[in-house]
Amino acid sequence: MPGVEIRDLTIEYSSGGYAVRPIDEMSMSFADGELVLLLGASGCGKTTLLSTLASILRPTSGSIVVGDTEVTALRGEALAEYRRHTVGIVFQAFNLIPSLTARDNVVVALRGGGVARREARRRAEALLLQVDLGDRMQHRPGDLSGGQQQRVAIARAIALDPPLVVADEPTAHLDYIQVEGVLRLLRDLAQPGRVVVVSTHDERLLPLADRVVELTPRAAAETRPPESHSLAPGETLFRQGDAGDLVYVVDEGVVEIIRELAGGGEELLTTIDPPNYFGELAPMFGLRRAATARAAGSGASVTGYTLRDFRGQRRDADTATLLEGAADAVPD
Amino acid sequence: MWLISRCDLVFRRRRFVIAVLVTALVFGMALIFDGVKRAVQNEVPRIVGLFDADTWVVRKGVTGPFTTTAVFPADVASKLTDDPGVKRADPVVLARGVARIDPDKDVNIVGYRPGGLGTPPVDTGRAVRHAGEAVVDETLGLSVGDRLALGSKNLRVVGVGDQLRYNFGAPTVFLDISDAQLLTFDGQDLAMAVVVRGHPTRLPGNLAEVSNDRVISDLNRITKPGVQTINMISVLLWIVAIGIIGSIVYLNALERTRDFAVLKATGSANRVIVGGLALQSLFLSIVAAVLSVGVAIVVGLGLPFPAELETASFVQLFGIAILVGLLASLIGARRALTTDPALAFAGA
Repeated sequence: MPGVEIRDLTIEYSSGGYAVRPIDEMSMSFADGELVLLLGASGCGKTTLLSTLASILRPTSGSIVVGDTEVTALRGEALAEYRRHTVGIVFQAFNLIPSLTARDNVVVALRGGGVARREARRRAEALLLQVDLGDRMQHRPGDLSGGQQQRVAIARAIALDPPLVVADEPTAHLDYIQVEGVLRLLRDLAQPGRVVVVSTHDERLLPLADRVVELTPRAAAETRPPESHSLAPGETLFRQGDAGDLVYVVDEGVVEIIRELAGGGEELLTTIDPPNYFGELAPMFGLRRAATARAAGSGASVTGYTLRDFRGQRRDADTATLLEGAADAVPD
Repeated sequence: MWLISRCDLVFRRRRFVIAVLVTALVFGMALIFDGVKRAVQNEVPRIVGLFDADTWVVRKGVTGPFTTTAVFPADVASKLTDDPGVKRADPVVLARGVARIDPDKDVNIVGYRPGGLGTPPVDTGRAVRHAGEAVVDETLGLSVGDRLALGSKNLRVVGVGDQLRYNFGAPTVFLDISDAQLLTFDGQDLAMAVVVRGHPTRLPGNLAEVSNDRVISDLNRITKPGVQTINMISVLLWIVAIGIIGSIVYLNALERTRDFAVLKATGSANRVIVGGLALQSLFLSIVAAVLSVGVAIVVGLGLPFPAELETASFVQLFGIAILVGLLASLIGARRALTTDPALAFAGA
């Protein structure tokens, strides 16, 4: 299993009529046997990336290659086959079928992969023993603790021995005692022949990882020289979905704040003229830009400051004031 | 596929049991209606066939002897006997009356010549031999030796037969034609039809021949609106059954939306998921059909109108139950098919 290769991956979808681009031109690769941690705040695109790795979501552009399989090109039966045999998924909410026993939840995955009934039972029991649930095989999910359910879910995910396992916030619903067992299992899964990709915002998982991918945009260094930009008419300063690290003050001209709509349209939200500022929320909360900023017809000059420098420059600009200002008119 | 469906049936057994019981009642009602319809449809050819006629002679312009009171002298039968094309001809009187039993019951009256055409089969006792005697349908509840007050006559029951009914299950009293003439025509020697074996070569100008098929269709005309009503009610009942099973399966599909999303996300084919729902729906429908047979038999025993439950009724029931099950699963199947596998990634 040579690993996973992500090339120029962009995922854009519509949310409330607006175009949202949580993953933008992402490229990276995961080596065989690695446990990769996708770290980031809610909404930064962790689950979106996992869904795309699992071929549940189709990217807007770019490609994902798992082993020799170009995942983004799969269709029909080949897609189902990939989901059955190449990727195992551990869901945040466990997602066990409530009417089935722990054993049967694993059996269903095996039967779906074409394993004969008796053999499926035997292997399901072996897998449940492996995740230390030998005495819970006949229990339904409702009779299991969160940690036990997640261990059943892991057994189900690896039932057909897939070369890629993706786990979405696997510890989100677990207390610290239950977390330990699940973490140990996930660590053990990452071995030659398999890549394990785990999304989380739980930094307790960091020591487990062979590699950490931060999906939350990092604000610029606390202090750095201001950046002056002279924008031609219609020139874009930043685009909706970009990482944002600076607050901009308009020195000259007018800047239009535009929301890109799903389907390619635009909506003018507001215009900013001197000496007003915009773009403060992205660096403040580690968010992506929620709108596009571009110079209006006559062009514009703007200066970008780090959040700290901006606050230093405007003594009144504490967080509450900035938020109030943002709520008044200026989207990020 | 069946593993998930079976376990789900057990897991949500309470609602499924309720659905099956209610559907069984609906199927049972449909089965009883079908039995009643078959009884109505069967009684007509049965009663006409009982006369063993090749043709019927009635007043010209009359559509059939059972539905129109149009009389002529009974001795026409004797004259017809002389016709070379006629092997036998017997006059009959076909009328309605009230049997004075407790409670009073409307009955059909058939007056015939003892030993002649129109002699009914008897299960117990014997046929009528002379005036003052009667053979009755078993649903009158009389036994051989009982007395039966019919109009001004007090008859002695000498025989009891089965399925001697027409006009929506009304029991029939067979008696000597002279008694029927006394009750109906004040003793005048009149007849409403002559039952003929063979075919007369010529008839008096005021009389005409009516075939058995015409007699049957004439009687069916009376029952046709009733049969149509039963058919409509049956269709409504099937729809109700589809509604009951469909709503349970749909409710189930709604609750299992996340399961479907997970199954799809892990590579289960749509046909596997939909097949599971269809199997579940079929199972409910067929179990309800099996139970409904018992319901129909038990309820049918208490009906004043004897329903005729035939093998064809049961075969039809199971055919329709399969159809009901499949149709009922469609709504849930649509839900399953439109479930987005990405839903599996949503939080709890």
